[in-house]
Amino acid sequence: MKIAEKKALKRESIIQAALQLFATNGFHRTTIPDIAIKLQMSVGNLYNYFSSKDILAQEIIRYTSEVLGEKIREVNDTDASAQEKIKQIVTVYFTMAKEKPEMIEYFLRVYLSNREVFSDGCEGMVCVSGFITEIMVFFDENVSSGELRNQDFFSAFGLFMGYLGGMVFLKGEEVLPKEIEYYIEDISRNIYNALKA
Amino acid sequence: MKSLKIKQLIEKIEGEAELDFTFHEGKIEDVKINFGFYRGIEEILQGKDARDALVITPRVCGICNHAHLLSAVRAIENGYENAGHKIELTSKAKDIREFTLACELIQNHIKWLYMTILPQLESYLDSKSEENYAIKATYLSSTITKALAIFAGQWPHSSYAVPGGVTCDPTHLDVMQAQSLVDESIKFFEQVVTELPLDEYLNIEFCADLHHVGGDFGKLLHLIGSSGMSEIGRSHDRFIVFGDCMLSPSGKSIVTKIANVDSKYVKESAQKGTVAKAVMYKERLYEVGPLARGMVGKRTIVKNLHKRYKDSLLTRVFARVHEVATLLDHAKTLLKNLNLEESSCTLDPHMLLQDFEGTGIVEAARGSLIHKTTVKDGLIVNYEIITPTQWNLSHGNDDEQGIAVEAMKGSKNIEEATFIFRTFDVCSVCTTQ
Amino acid sequence: MEKPHLLWLQSITCNGNTHSFLNHPDLFSILSHYNIVHHPALDGSHSFDDVLKDDVPCDVLILEGSFIEKGFLKGGVEVSFILEKYAKKAKYIITAGTCATFGGVFKQKDPSNISGFCFDLEEKSIRYDAYASKLISLPGCPVHPKWLSYVLLMLANGKQIPIDNLHRPTELFGYTVHNGCTRNEYFEWKIDADNYGLKEGCLFYAQGCQGPYTRGSCNKILWNDISSKTRAGTPCFGCTEASFPQTSLFQTKTNMGIPAKMPLGIPKRAYLSLTGVTKSFKIKRFSTRLLEYDK
Repeated sequence: MKIAEKKALKRESIIQAALQLFATNGFHRTTIPDIAIKLQMSVGNLYNYFSSKDILAQEIIRYTSEVLGEKIREVNDTDASAQEKIKQIVTVYFTMAKEKPEMIEYFLRVYLSNREVFSDGCEGMVCVSGFITEIMVFFDENVSSGELRNQDFFSAFGLFMGYLGGMVFLKGEEVLPKEIEYYIEDISRNIYNALKA
Repeated sequence: MKSLKIKQLIEKIEGEAELDFTFHEGKIEDVKINFGFYRGIEEILQGKDARDALVITPRVCGICNHAHLLSAVRAIENGYENAGHKIELTSKAKDIREFTLACELIQNHIKWLYMTILPQLESYLDSKSEENYAIKATYLSSTITKALAIFAGQWPHSSYAVPGGVTCDPTHLDVMQAQSLVDESIKFFEQVVTELPLDEYLNIEFCADLHHVGGDFGKLLHLIGSSGMSEIGRSHDRFIVFGDCMLSPSGKSIVTKIANVDSKYVKESAQKGTVAKAVMYKERLYEVGPLARGMVGKRTIVKNLHKRYKDSLLTRVFARVHEVATLLDHAKTLLKNLNLEESSCTLDPHMLLQDFEGTGIVEAARGSLIHKTTVKDGLIVNYEIITPTQWNLSHGNDDEQGIAVEAMKGSKNIEEATFIFRTFDVCSVCTTQ
Repeated sequence: MEKPHLLWLQSITCNGNTHSFLNHPDLFSILSHYNIVHHPALDGSHSFDDVLKDDVPCDVLILEGSFIEKGFLKGGVEVSFILEKYAKKAKYIITAGTCATFGGVFKQKDPSNISGFCFDLEEKSIRYDAYASKLISLPGCPVHPKWLSYVLLMLANGKQIPIDNLHRPTELFGYTVHNGCTRNEYFEWKIDADNYGLKEGCLFYAQGCQGPYTRGSCNKILWNDISSKTRAGTPCFGCTEASFPQTSLFQTKTNMGIPAKMPLGIPKRAYLSLTGVTKSFKIKRFSTRLLEYDK
């Protein structure tokens, strides 16, 4: 394995470990030494990868946004109907919430709650553009095909993502009486009904 | 004696026309004016967005496209007002629109003077000079349209007038450049067209003083006078102006008696044998254009010429060239007083009315230009364009012959008649929109 | 060597190309390279009657106006017959304007019968094969005077004119109207104009500007040597394109706020990634009036 590849893998493992710690213990209560210990690496070496905790936090949001964006892109690239694609996107989102809860938790509990950490370098949609771009592509293509109603971007985006975020939040609070997959069908239909042409 | 019919193809007007002359006892008794191809702009507009008329209608005519734009925007603004939404243009927007329209008129009249009237008269009188008149025409017309383009982006075919104002937001530098171009045009007018300072020229009130006019205009007047053409080309001596403007208020003039007009009495009708529609005001024919504006606007020198020569070829030709002087002077004043602090466009861009009917009137180079738009659900369901040439060239009705036909009637030869025809500054493309 | 013979013929037109060309500041020096056989406004060696009835010389033919096979007569002769007669004879054919090139605005009156001379929109017409070897397309409503002079001078000097697949000179149409637009900074940062009549803001996002995907050098070679539509705050209406004129010209077609048509050659994903980023910044200079910022 080349050195560059090795480094990339190491970098990703730092992100994964930090993601878990931030999501479970909170951003402020997690320190760089905590992360180093979990990875069995030296603090000094970790700093070679990320020069500060804030930068690490920003990289994580970029990383999760790209992972999620990549999955939605796969949905966008299929020939499915808008209704079917909505269901697939909901499934992607809920599956991730279930299998990698730390990612969504991180987004909701760290990224949205500690805006000061992200104010310099992650303004607005800069660090989540991997994900936002795919949602834009989804909207654009399906309005263009006549399946979704043309409207303001944020009124559609808020309805779609606010809904999903809210459900994952309720899951995290353990107030959902059923497994999250149970809701995919209904939620997808609700979103489709709200957005369809 | 039997009537004799002769067909003549006229070129070097805006497009071409075919005139069918009927001679009786050696004199022209009737003329049928036929234009080429009906292009259907009014039909093309149906089903389009109301504002698309601002882009499509200038394409009616390559030489008076700007007048079409302004009629189109006024039709929409009038429609908004009829629907209860008052549109208040700033004086800046009004002045810029007036300035650019003045530039287009100057461009038109100068091209007509140098590319139509002078060369045609010389060739008719067999006194062809070696002059390249076209270079004079294009020099002045390109200078003044450049001033227009500073505000409108380009000429021909700008769409810079939008409901509520204009799209440009000029700086003082822009205005100064336009001023230089107007000054340059005035200099040309003074040195080449009249050989008189502009204010001196504009102070001329009496026919007797016209001999002071030198330059190419002086030459033209002299050629007309010395060849005994001053009295020919008379028509019905009835004039009409619909567009209240810098040159004239709206009104009609019948044998110097001025009265108010209302565009609702304008009626269009199909004519046999031509794709051009006829147009009348309360069932009567009227002449439109510079002579009409000179009469209704009571311009002293035009009135005095009219007193002596009536609505003859001389008065008609004079009135058109004279407008260049008036317009240059006015254009200069407009720029001087332009208030750049005001807004260019006062209508909220989200304020789009869906249902309205409006009429827009502009005094174009050749006379009153009327656009009527009917909009439902944001789309044009009906669009009507009445062009100046339709007024002047309609064939007439059972009672009387059309304006230009009447002017040609009685002429003994085709060359003279076609010259009279050209004094109306004929535009075939406008007539066959 | 004898100068080439130039013949300018009109079909279904508004004369806009004729008048546009008359604005050229060097008009007569350009024309001095040619013998003008006939022109709609300028003096030529032959009258229009000669053009109709005789067989006048023609090396370079300029066509203005949309084409129709039947039903448009001048002096009793089908215009299509006259055009084809001289097209066969000419060494070069220049279609001046969008009408002569693609069909233009007048095509919309009778779309199945009216077209450009060698193209019907972007499709090759039945005449294409016969004239392709000598065809130069100069779309634009109207044609820009400098574009036409470029072609006339290149031909007069015996130079090859590089052309694209629709026979447009690449030196003129390799650019988009967006290129050189003075509002570019606002485009880069996705700042739309709040209204018409402002120096500030890009017209691509709301006002309907087609500059980023319209071919033409309007903002490089200025109109009337001084300005352009976008410089005067007017959106580009795509008048050089075969699709001109489209509908709702003063409104950008958007899908949930995203422009439906992308800048020429830009993948939507690439455009949207940039949009998400640039839209995230609130830059004071772009929300301040240009002449106020440094005060």
